[in-house]
Amino acid sequence: MKNILVTTSLLLTLLVTSCVQKSYKKTVVFTLDVSKIKSIKKVGVRGNDKPLSWDYDTQMKEIKKDSLFQITITGETAYKFTEVKFVVNDTFEFKDKDNRRVIFSEKDTTFYNAKFNKR
Amino acid sequence: MKLLTKITKPILLPHWSQDLFIIIPRIVCGYLLAFNFGAAKFGMPWSPADNNLGLFEVAFWFPKDVASYGGIFAIAPAFFAWMGAFAEAIGGLLLLFGFQTRIASFLIICTMLVAIFMQQIQNGLWNCLAAMGFLWVAVFYLILGSGRFGVDYLLIKNKA
Repeated sequence: MKNILVTTSLLLTLLVTSCVQKSYKKTVVFTLDVSKIKSIKKVGVRGNDKPLSWDYDTQMKEIKKDSLFQITITGETAYKFTEVKFVVNDTFEFKDKDNRRVIFSEKDTTFYNAKFNKR
Repeated sequence: MKLLTKITKPILLPHWSQDLFIIIPRIVCGYLLAFNFGAAKFGMPWSPADNNLGLFEVAFWFPKDVASYGGIFAIAPAFFAWMGAFAEAIGGLLLLFGFQTRIASFLIICTMLVAIFMQQIQNGLWNCLAAMGFLWVAVFYLILGSGRFGVDYLLIKNKA
């Protein structure tokens, strides 16, 4: 009986004192240089964490003609990083290679500048 | 006390080699649950550093997943998420060492039933296979207990 009480108390203590991991809103401003690529039709980004997905592109906006594309993504996460890949004309960068790892800034907003298919 | 002793006491197979043989699925499943599936969503000392989990914390995304199952799960998603993650990480560890094997198996069975019928079944049978594998292994150990090669046997042996 004593053992059951001790086990139950231990479990309850763990249950009460433990909790759900705290998450935060993080914003990442992705800027992609595609100046080396000709005839660009569409530019997007895919990634691990919502609202990004690996299943579909999130379209980036052109901020400098045929050269720079940008998008601002805000999502809730508790991780210190996210993983993404850019997609130009439905073609992934770094095919069969590791994703880009975007380490979040200590501040709310992270600025991530990249060149397509280059680390 | 008698109840705990009953729960702890393993059924021994006729020959020790049979007990030795059936520790393989217990160790493999216990290890995978405690160090892989469980540790990814429940804060353990060996959880991946990238996941940023505190000790015994459940991953932030898991209660949201659990809430989406609806019904009772939507009423207390943090509780069910914590219990599910606990069952995988701590239950897996207990299963690995054969310590309170039946309690661990029961927790794992509950968690895997939820994983199969509330989470994976709509994605097709193929996606249920991992949870079903753990479920079947836990069902056997719920009946058998740890066998000769587990902490439960060592605890009971001296009392017998």
